[in-house]
Amino acid sequence: MGTFRYVLRDTNRLLFRHWGLSLLTLFTAVAVFFLVGSSALFMLNTRYLVARVESELLVQAYVKNEAQLQTVADKAHKIPGVASVRWVTTAEAMERLKTRLKGHAQALTILGENPLPPSLEIGLARAVLAPSVARELLAMPEVDDVIYAGGLADKLARVSRFATRFSMFVLVIAVTASALVLFNTIRISIYSRRDEIGVMLLVGATPTFVALPFVLQGMLLGMGGALGASLLIGGGYEALVRGVEATLPFVQLFRDPSMLLRLGLILLGGGITVGWISSWMAVERFIRRALRPM
Amino acid sequence: MDVRISGVTKLYEPDIRALEDVYLTVPKGEFLYLVGQTGSGKTTLLRLITREVMPTKGQIAVGEYNLRKMSAFDLALYRRDLGVIFQDFKLLPHLTAMENVAFVLDVIGVPPAEVKERTGEVLERVGMWRRRFLRPPQLSGGEQQRIAIARAVVNAPSLLVADEPTGNLDTHTAEEIMQLLLSINASGTTVLMATHNQFLVDAYRQRVLELHMGRVVRDEKRGRYELDGDF
Repeated sequence: MGTFRYVLRDTNRLLFRHWGLSLLTLFTAVAVFFLVGSSALFMLNTRYLVARVESELLVQAYVKNEAQLQTVADKAHKIPGVASVRWVTTAEAMERLKTRLKGHAQALTILGENPLPPSLEIGLARAVLAPSVARELLAMPEVDDVIYAGGLADKLARVSRFATRFSMFVLVIAVTASALVLFNTIRISIYSRRDEIGVMLLVGATPTFVALPFVLQGMLLGMGGALGASLLIGGGYEALVRGVEATLPFVQLFRDPSMLLRLGLILLGGGITVGWISSWMAVERFIRRALRPM
Repeated sequence: MDVRISGVTKLYEPDIRALEDVYLTVPKGEFLYLVGQTGSGKTTLLRLITREVMPTKGQIAVGEYNLRKMSAFDLALYRRDLGVIFQDFKLLPHLTAMENVAFVLDVIGVPPAEVKERTGEVLERVGMWRRRFLRPPQLSGGEQQRIAIARAVVNAPSLLVADEPTGNLDTHTAEEIMQLLLSINASGTTVLMATHNQFLVDAYRQRVLELHMGRVVRDEKRGRYELDGDF
């Protein structure tokens, strides 16, 4: 109990003795974790957009005659990456064309017999799989032709890959930056109290006991930074979504309160962990050196 | 705790020899004066015992501890049983006299009520109870020395290491501090005291170990100060 009270009192002293430095570290941590959270949201939105377009992306396989639809559908189901298969008979194809032409549907009577081929509309799990699915379909003797938005699929896959890589890059840079800032803050705190630490070690304090207030200081600063960033991101993103909905109704941003909460918790966990690791590294190095006899 | 030093040599640089082939045994409960000229190796010997310095050669054992081989945790346990009065006091200037003493008990996790009680007792004993709320810069050299002694003994150590505890003090205050150290010794604590104070060594006769250029040149029971190294 005495130890616990001492550690809390000392941590409080560390945070407020150099309050300017603590505040600066806190602001830096907020900025860094805001960057991390924002890039995560950017990645989520890109993925959401890609997933939406992917879910609408179809590979159209034209079959030589309607009797073969079942056979081709069975084979198509077995191709990896195929999420759904839907038959389109010649009659249904004609109905769709009439609907699309609306007032000009009469013109179709000049065609006489229905010339539209039967087809299968194949939904994909991921856009990037479109070329390979198309190749396998084309290889089937019953299939006449295959059409899909190949360029779009490739572009979507590239955007998705870029968003992921960019977010990972930002994450690594931001985490390194916050770790360095926290590491230096703790080092300055330790330096300002080096005599005290020396006396503590000489009178029998264990290294863990000496380190605890500094580690707690690092964790609190990391947590404070992450908490501040989470609140800013939460509030800012809600405002952004509302603004986009009002001005650009055709653009749909990712909106899931539970995901935002999870992102906040991940940032909080990340802040505490980065604070813990960087402060432990700073204080452990100092104590090891202080304990080493001449 | 007893102290056993055998064949200890300490080189700070290849050509700076602080101690050479020192053998010393101090039984539990003994009072030992370390005397010798400045640079004779007294402080190095004490710092070897506090394990701030490691011998280049030889072995040091204090009580059950082998100071050559010990983990950080064992070192902490060992130092809890060791009281140290530093030549420069090493008091923390931002803490009051009372907090400086209580700090030792705080950092080893003693419950607050016990910290208060033991700190009060030891401050009374060194005559600093009335000055307990002052910070080191507000205290005289003698008062700071008393606080340093209070801090060294508050944890009832088995071994007390004092490096010039009466340095820069007037004769009267030095005598008071000596009386205090003797009373601590009388309660069973082994005391090692490095000093230049001829008056105290001659007035309060105890075992005397003289060092000269890092070597033991005299080891006398109930000896006098007079330095052999002067001749």
